[in-house]
Parts: sequence; C-alpha cells; structure tokens
Amino acid sequence: MTTASRRRQQLFSLQPLDSRTQSPLFQRRRLAQEEDMGHAPQLLSLNGHAGAGGEGGPSANMSLGNAVCERCGEGFSMDEEIINCNGKVWHKECFVCAQCFQPFPEGRFFEFEGRKYCEHDFCVLFAPSCARCGEFISGRVIKAMNSSWHPECFRCFICAKVLADEGFVKNQGRALCRDCNANEKAKGLGKYVCFKCHCIIEGGHLKWKGEVYCPYHFNCYTCGVELTADAREKDGELYCLRCHDKMGIPICGACRRPIEERVIHAMGKTWHVEHFVCAKCEKPFLGTRHYEKKGLAYCEIHYHQLFGNICFVCNNIINGDVFSAFNKAWCTNCFACSICDRKMNQKTKFFEFDQKPVCKNCYDKFPSELKKRLKKAYDEALKLGKSS
Amino acid sequence: MSSKIKKLVDEARDSENPELDLVDKGIGNILEIPGFASLSNLSKLVLAHNKITSVPPSIANFLNLETIILFNNHIEELPTTLSSMPKLKILNVGMNRLNSLPRGFGACPVLEVLDVTYNNLSESSLPANFFCLDTLRALYVGDNDFEHMPPEIGRLKNLQILVLRDNDLIDLPKELGDLPRLRELHVQGNRLTVLPPELGSLDLVGSKQVFKAGSNPWVTPITEQFQIGVSHVFDYIRSDTYKYLYGRHISAGASPPQKTNDKSKKISRSQKKTNAIVANSPRVIAAAAAAVVVVDVDQRGSVVSVSDL
Repeated sequence: MTTASRRRQQLFSLQPLDSRTQSPLFQRRRLAQEEDMGHAPQLLSLNGHAGAGGEGGPSANMSLGNAVCERCGEGFSMDEEIINCNGKVWHKECFVCAQCFQPFPEGRFFEFEGRKYCEHDFCVLFAPSCARCGEFISGRVIKAMNSSWHPECFRCFICAKVLADEGFVKNQGRALCRDCNANEKAKGLGKYVCFKCHCIIEGGHLKWKGEVYCPYHFNCYTCGVELTADAREKDGELYCLRCHDKMGIPICGACRRPIEERVIHAMGKTWHVEHFVCAKCEKPFLGTRHYEKKGLAYCEIHYHQLFGNICFVCNNIINGDVFSAFNKAWCTNCFACSICDRKMNQKTKFFEFDQKPVCKNCYDKFPSELKKRLKKAYDEALKLGKSS
Repeated sequence: MSSKIKKLVDEARDSENPELDLVDKGIGNILEIPGFASLSNLSKLVLAHNKITSVPPSIANFLNLETIILFNNHIEELPTTLSSMPKLKILNVGMNRLNSLPRGFGACPVLEVLDVTYNNLSESSLPANFFCLDTLRALYVGDNDFEHMPPEIGRLKNLQILVLRDNDLIDLPKELGDLPRLRELHVQGNRLTVLPPELGSLDLVGSKQVFKAGSNPWVTPITEQFQIGVSHVFDYIRSDTYKYLYGRHISAGASPPQKTNDKSKKISRSQKKTNAIVANSPRVIAAAAAAVVVVDVDQRGSVVSVSDL
C-alpha cells in the first residue's frame, strides 16, 4: 500500500524540466530554444539588486535608460523591479505565463516558440501523456508501440515487469518481456495466424482465397452479420451459413440441410434422393412414382392402402371405376359374389357376410341356423345403431 | 347333369377361358368332372354349392390356379399338395366339414386370402407351420371351434382382415397387437371377457376400419365403453387404469364363461359319426406303411432308394 501511494505521489508531482530532465524530447526542444534564446531567466532590479539567479549573464552590460518592456513596450520607472532574461527586460507584472498570465512559480518558466509558460501550462500544452496512466510525463519518456509512457508505466503486458531498461518484444500488438514472449510463442504453436491481424486465431478460423483469417474480420455478403468459422465462400464472397444455405443451393425438405448431390424436385420442395420417402413406409421413392395427399407423399402401395383403392380380390390398384362396400373396394372386374363368384353391378342386391358381399342365391343356400344367427346379429347391430 | 357339366368344361376349353364356373351342379367328386384334367391353364375354379367330399391331390397339377372356391361342399380333408401350388392366392373352403388343415399347409407360397369359415377347426387342428403364411392378408375363421388363438398369429405381418366370429374363444392373444396392418377384426359371438391392453396399438376405429365385438360376456368396464363407442374402448384399454385391472383379472384366473351357443345344428357337424371313422382310418394306414418302408433321402432331397424292410 505504502509503495503504491508513494508511487502515485511521484506520478502526480510535477518534476521540474531542466537540463537534467532525461526526456529526450524535452532536451531536444530545450537545446533548440537555448540556441535562440540564451539561458535561464534572470531577475534584475534597476537599482542594482540582483534577484534570484541574477548573477552572471549578459545583464551587466544592460543600459536601462531607453529600455522598454518586451511585453507592453513601456519604459521603466526608476525604482521599479525589472526582470532581465537573456538580454530582454520586462516589468515584473508583465513577466507572466503566456497561457494563464500568472507569474511563474519560483520564477521558473518553460519557453516554446518564443512564448514562456508556467510549468503547468507547458505540460498541458506540450508534454506527452502516458498511454497507461494518462498523466503527463516529465523527465524520462519511454517512446514505444507508437505511444509515450512513464518508465514505470511501460510494463510487460502479461507479467507487468517494468520494461524500460530491459527492452521488450512486440507480440500481437502487445509489449512483452522476453520470457513472456517465448511462452506466448510456444502456446500459439500449431494454431493459425490471421493473415490480416497476424494474431494467433483462437477458435475456428476462416479460409478465404487461400489465406486464413479470424472469422470476425468479415461480414456476411448478404446480411452483413459478423461471420463465424462456419461461414462459406461462394464465388469469391463470404456468407454466413444461413444466407449460404438460402442462396440457390437447394435445401432438403426433410433434413433441412443443403443438397450437394442429386436434387429431387417434388411437392414444391427439394429433397435429397434418399430423403424423399413414402410418408407411411418411409422408403425412398428413388425415382419411382409417388402419390400426393394432404401435403404428404406416398408410394403406390401405401397411397392406395390408406386411401382405399386397392381391389380386395386381385389386390391391385384400381384404375377406373371403384365398387365400395363394407370398407373395401373392388375393381369392376372383381366385384362379384364372394361365394359363387357371379359378377355383380350397382343394381345387384347382396347380403353382408363377414363384411363380404353374398348374392341372394348363395345366401338362400345358407343353413337356416346360420341365417337365424346372422339375422339376430343384424337386428342387434341395427338396434345399437339406432340407440347411439 | 353330367352332360351339362361336360358342355361347360368344353366351352371353357374352347374359348380358352381360364375361369371355370361349376356352381351348384350337384358334383360329388372333382375327378368325375368330364374333361377336367384338360383345363391345365385354369386360373380360377369355382365349385361352390356342390357335394364334393374330397379334393384330389392332383389339383396341384393346375399350376396356374390362383383362386379356388369350394364353399358349401362336404369336404372333410384337403390334400397336402395344396401348399405346393405356386400361384394360389385365394382359397375358399368355407362351409365344409373340415376337421383339420393339411400338414405343411403353411408353405403355400403366395396365399393371400384363406376362408375356412363354418368348419370344425380348432387350434389343435392347425398344422405346425400354419403361421408361416406371411403373405396372408385376410383370414376368415368364423364359425369354428377355436378356444384360444395361438400367439404365433403375430407372425402374419400382412394380415389386414381377421374374422374370428362365432368361435369359442376364451381370450385373445396379445400378439394381435403386433399386426400393424390389421384394419378389420371380428370377434363377435365368443366367450371373451377382457381385451389384452396390447390391442391398444391397433388402429381399428377409423372410417376404413372394422371392429366387431358384440355378443361376448365382456367385463362391465368394457361393456360400458362399448356403449359410448368403439373408439372409447380402445382409449380405455390403453389407459393405465385398465392395464392394472387387466393384470388383476388375469392373475385372479377366473374360470372362463360357459359355452352358450349350441353348435349341434351346424351342417358341418352332420354325419359326425361316419366322419370320425373316415377321418381316422387313412392315418392308421399311413402309420402302418411307414413301419415297413425306409426312404433314404440324400442331401439334395431327392429319393435315392426305397427298400422294403
């Protein structure tokens, strides 16, 4: 805790900028200014009392008689304090920060492009700020990864070791110490590296035009959604799976997956050959004829079995007229008395015997005890039918 | 009479009509039909309402026969050769005096409709391979003497119509529930009290289906459901309540209801005494013959040698 708070104090306290400042930027600027402007400010007094830092320098040769203030251009009264700096003079009240117009604290100023600033305003205007903590940097500035850093803020992205003196390795946009970099490299071995961001691709990769990418660099050509690893390429464009499936590539009406081989077009849908099956027996039609009923497809046998057009006698599908009786169907050729096989037509009267038609001739030949029983059962059924 | 039959046979042969209609001609023996053997490409033979007492084994020589109707005759036994007929699809031997079906009958290769209504058959008179008839789509066994239907009935996977009307059935096998194509079931006039819950898997309540179950001594809850409607019966036997009741009913092991129907007047029963003698005597002879003849059969199944012991 104590070290942390101390460090924060260090971070927040402003360091004076001078020839000892280790910032190369500042030193470059300072030297350039010094060539133009000479040296540190001097506080002079007209009556010969030298102010702080007033010893030495070119002030000794100053003639004050016609001297005017650098800032306001006015002359000086006799016992007024005059500030001399690099051979120029100011009224005391004119020697202020170009930004805040306040006297320089402790007489210290920073000059840039001919203007003098107090330390605070100079920092605000010109000092770099740290990419990590956001504070101004005075003193040593670490320039790395296109940013400026406090030396103590420039740390390994992984282990937080200070890197200012040791040096660093750039790894996927991160500054790493050598150890961590080695570890990272080992971890990423065998993984794809994105052709665009050069990062190791975590999770699925996306192949496009022969290169490997992080899928999220791309969006679906149709719907714009950010792509995932299951995106598909078609004609040089990338599509999310949904859009890819919808585009011209037929989708099987049964399994809802794209059909890449033979396509069956039927019932207004497309089908895998092996998925277009009879709704009853679930056998694929494989190109044989199918029959549609209420949105379902049936094979010949089951269509007729379910929808009733198989002849009870010959067991064939009835094409043409159908005789229907007793929940059965007959083709015209087979509709006959179930006992004597005499042909019957719409007008023929017949009896029911075990749900089969029996002509009157045959029924009359039944033994009387059977006829009695049949009659009884018939009457009972009739009674039940009436009562319910 | 015989000349009239001869005329019909000749007509059929001359016109190459593959269907022969000899209904109600007073025929007593198929072999006595004049010129019958010459109709070799016959596909349909209708001999209903005659007095035929037996079917000759040579009937199997008519390789094209698809339909044989022998309804209302006096047949007591069918030849074993029937099962070798390659095209036989419809066999109607209703209203005869059959006490059994021939040995190996289940080997009929393409039989689709079998009608043995109104005979004297029971579970003990079926040949062992009877339920191999998996091409069967309709089985008419009404007016016979079954007390139990063998559970192997579940093997007749193509069965669509099953008529068990007016037998002596005490229960139904739960394997009936294994017949996915069944759409017509007649069990009226039996001694049934409960339905196995497995029958709940059948679809017998639609407009294309038939379920007849009247004249049975059903337990009260089932009777009540029948009064509301057949669909309620099936809903009910699918319920857990019923499964529980059914389990209790079965484990209680109540004695089956008595027979109420008097079958003595059935015409299939007439001349019962002579039937018994006629039916038994050929078997005795066959057994005696087996004792003195050894038939060697090689692996391909052809007879190699016949020797007297």
